[in-house]
Amino acid sequence: MSRKEFTQISRVARELEQCMKCGFCAYVCPVYQEEKTEASLARGKNELVKLLVSGELEINRELADRLYKCTGCMTCTTNCPARAEIPRIVVAARADIAGEMGMRFPYGLIYRQVLAKRGVMGLALAVASRLQGVLMPRTSGTLRHMPDFVSAFGKGRRIPSVARKFLRRQVPEVTPAAGRRTLRVGYFSGCMNEFVSPEIGRRTIGLLARRGVEVVFPRAQGCCGAAVFLGAGDFETARKMADRNAAAFEGLDYVVTDCATCACALTEYAHFLADTPEREEAYARFSGKVRHVASFLVDVLGAADFRAPALLDGKKVTWHDPCHLNRHLGVREQPRRILESLDGVRYVEMPEADRCCGMGGQFNLLHYELSMKIAKRKSESIEAADADIVVTACPGCQLQLADSASRLDKPQRVMSLMDVIE
Amino acid sequence: MLKPEIIHRLQEIVGKDDVLSAREDLATYSYDGTTNWTGTPEVVVLPRTTEQISEIMKLATRHHIAVTPRGAGTNISGGSVPTRGGIVLCTVKMNRVLDINKTNLTAMVEPGVVLQDFNNMLAKENLFYPPDPQSFLGCTMGGTIAENSGGPLCVKYGVTKHYVLGLEVVLPSGYVMKVGGSTVKNRTGYDLVPLFTGSEGTLGVITRITLRLIPRPAARRTLMAIFDDMTLAGAVVSSILGAGIVPAKIEFVDNFVIRRIEEKMKIGLPVDAKTMLLIDVDGSEAAVESEAERILELLKEGGARIARRAKDETEAALYWKARSAGFAAIYSAARTVIAEDVTVPRDRLSEYIQRLDEISRKSGFPIVLIGHAGDGNIHPSVSTDSTDKEDLERLEDTLTAIFEMALELGGTLSGEHGIGLEKKRLLSRALDPMAIDAMRKIKAIFDPDNIMNPDKIWENA
Ligand SMILES: Cc1cc2nc3c(=O)[nH]c(=O)nc-3n(C[C@H](O)[C@H](O)[C@H](O)COP(=O)(O)OP(=O)(O)OC[C@H]3O[C@@H](n4cnc5c(N)ncnc54)[C@H](O)[C@@H]3O)c2cc1C
Ligand code: SF4
Ligand code: SF4
Repeated sequence: MSRKEFTQISRVARELEQCMKCGFCAYVCPVYQEEKTEASLARGKNELVKLLVSGELEINRELADRLYKCTGCMTCTTNCPARAEIPRIVVAARADIAGEMGMRFPYGLIYRQVLAKRGVMGLALAVASRLQGVLMPRTSGTLRHMPDFVSAFGKGRRIPSVARKFLRRQVPEVTPAAGRRTLRVGYFSGCMNEFVSPEIGRRTIGLLARRGVEVVFPRAQGCCGAAVFLGAGDFETARKMADRNAAAFEGLDYVVTDCATCACALTEYAHFLADTPEREEAYARFSGKVRHVASFLVDVLGAADFRAPALLDGKKVTWHDPCHLNRHLGVREQPRRILESLDGVRYVEMPEADRCCGMGGQFNLLHYELSMKIAKRKSESIEAADADIVVTACPGCQLQLADSASRLDKPQRVMSLMDVIE
Repeated sequence: MLKPEIIHRLQEIVGKDDVLSAREDLATYSYDGTTNWTGTPEVVVLPRTTEQISEIMKLATRHHIAVTPRGAGTNISGGSVPTRGGIVLCTVKMNRVLDINKTNLTAMVEPGVVLQDFNNMLAKENLFYPPDPQSFLGCTMGGTIAENSGGPLCVKYGVTKHYVLGLEVVLPSGYVMKVGGSTVKNRTGYDLVPLFTGSEGTLGVITRITLRLIPRPAARRTLMAIFDDMTLAGAVVSSILGAGIVPAKIEFVDNFVIRRIEEKMKIGLPVDAKTMLLIDVDGSEAAVESEAERILELLKEGGARIARRAKDETEAALYWKARSAGFAAIYSAARTVIAEDVTVPRDRLSEYIQRLDEISRKSGFPIVLIGHAGDGNIHPSVSTDSTDKEDLERLEDTLTAIFEMALELGGTLSGEHGIGLEKKRLLSRALDPMAIDAMRKIKAIFDPDNIMNPDKIWENA
């Protein structure tokens, strides 16, 4: 296969030369820490892509498997003395692999690995049922739809039959600001809040409105596309999603979301998906307005006082940094400030709060056991903090932490940031 | 290609999951920390016990298969690059700290323990293991023993070999040999511990390590000085040592590195500075305070533009983080980067720096300086983006010129990185021929079939 066909890799060609093989990433890469093989390490993945470009390796299952063993947590880059952006190289390579092997590859793998294996599927269902009270609306009969949810995640389409009953049916298109209107923002719900936990969306919208913000819920918005382009490397489908989202939020002051992964994906449109000057411009304008709700509250609104609902009274809470929020978007202090401001709640920092939980979207589906091993270390950190509740701001992390807690029989509850502030 | 029976037997020995033979895996064990040495193994094994390693070695001996031990692959001399295919034996899954003895001040570790993990465990016990190669986030204990590594702290505390009390080594025959013990004194026959320490994986596989520890010093200060002239900085190092003070570390970073670090990490270093010296003093609170005072005076007298203490632990940590990133900063700056490892007597440092400048100007290759000024081991890194054969030959000549200059100043070829593949072409000029002959004979005793990391250290072995 000739060089010119690696469209996406060639866009990050300069990055490929950054790694100087010092091996420091071994100390931080959550996947390497479990696997201990060179191909699971950032340095090894960089080498694999280099060899692919030079023609010494070709696109095949073996190569793809190794390049999909990355949660995209960015811990390697953050700690890399050369700041090598290997996770971006991995995403680019997945796109070129998807282009060559056809869209069937990663999705096919999901079908084989997840849906075809009753065990894994059953586990997902069991977890879902246990989580019902925490994550899922009691009334919706979610269980029935879990397979759809999982498969749809893989297909990179908006979630099918489960959809439409949820958040957009519960909130108006425009929620007016209480009191004087300071800003007009669009709320980006993300699939999880839209279909699985709409009450979180309702809380976010309500909170913003009470703080003097008019909240628009554009009906035309869709999935952020994280699983599609960052996960599966299907840039073509993702472009359609990006176009749609960028158009849906035209003319608003900000785009606010309570999902860390969505916030991250939305800000990455220009970098990965812009293939024409028009898209470049539209995506950059859109991305510039995207804020995670924690950052919007603290940085844009300057809010410093938050109240906790009564059920948190006297509880000890700790914070898990979603990779997409912390390393990708640089939002670290804001959620901590929010939690520390809560009266009657004690905030404790857990060790390695910023360590990846092992979810990584598709990573969890493709490598479930490995993902759970990474999560175990997170569970140990949570336990060390001796907290009653672990709070985070990413539905993916939340699922993972809850899944891991139930597998390991841990008592800690997992809650969304939006669950704990009013 | 190795015969399928061999792969099968390896799988029997260590289990299927710990044998890698896919092309995509083998490719990732073809390099180490160098930019220019590669070689692909035929199989990679990741054993978990000494017994498994013994079985692997027996198999390799029986079938004459080359074995290249590997820790984290961070060395910068080509040491863990397989040159004859064969087996890469990677120790990262043997990573238990077996014992920390607070009263005998010793520890026993497996070879795959990562240095930083070991340090973290010792810190909890208020203990201290000084050898500190700046690759501590990656390198394994086995690798540091095999390379006899040292770092900034060796000015005051010495290098790895000063801390190794005992070793368990699997010889090519599969025999598991124990040398040394767990006592600080040991005068029982020839001392084989320092022979295996620094043997670069050419004599056997180190499987268990007993180390001497010391109590953690009570206090520490970090000083930072900026110079507008590199040779002045070199001279100051000699004057500090001449004043009877032995700081824990004296590190040297040149303008190029300062700029690269600043570009990547943005920690507020003056980007116009010609040199930054980072100095640590440690010991009792009182001693540390008076030494720091005295060094600051000497730095100012010696012509430092800025000389001050880090205001707190956080600032100190930032400086040292920048220092450990320094090498990486150099390595990623050009296509081919050779970090030389020559070491000169400490009273010749400013002359050394001046001569390097001359060599750089004459050859046209930029030479970047970073390293351990306190022990005369400031690494000159020579780099080029050219892939032109003639340029690369000229680069090699430049390295030779640096080496010859260092020898003239009474120095040596390698301070800490080892010979590996990178420096073997110069070895015969750095050593007495009789010494080389003795070393080769020692190699033949332990490794008669020459399967243990062949092609390393010796030319045409
Ligand atoms: C950024 C950077 C900074 C560095 N700074 C320093 C420094 O300050 N000081 C310094 O001394 N070095 C330094 N090094 C070099 C390197 O880190 C050290 O040589 C380190 O000790 C190598 O450890 P490793 O686990 O990576 O071993 P590897 O690189 O995997 O192997 C090194 C050698 O040891 C052999 N080996 C490994 N394990 C065993 C075993 N169990 N038994 C027998 N042989 C074995 C290998 O065959 C090879 O010859 C630096 C390297 C980098 C990339
Ligand atoms: S990715 Fe960065 S940390 Fe990892 S080996 Fe490469 S340069 Fe070192
Ligand atoms: S992004 Fe995370 S999982 Fe992927 S290579 Fe880097 S540290 Fe490892």
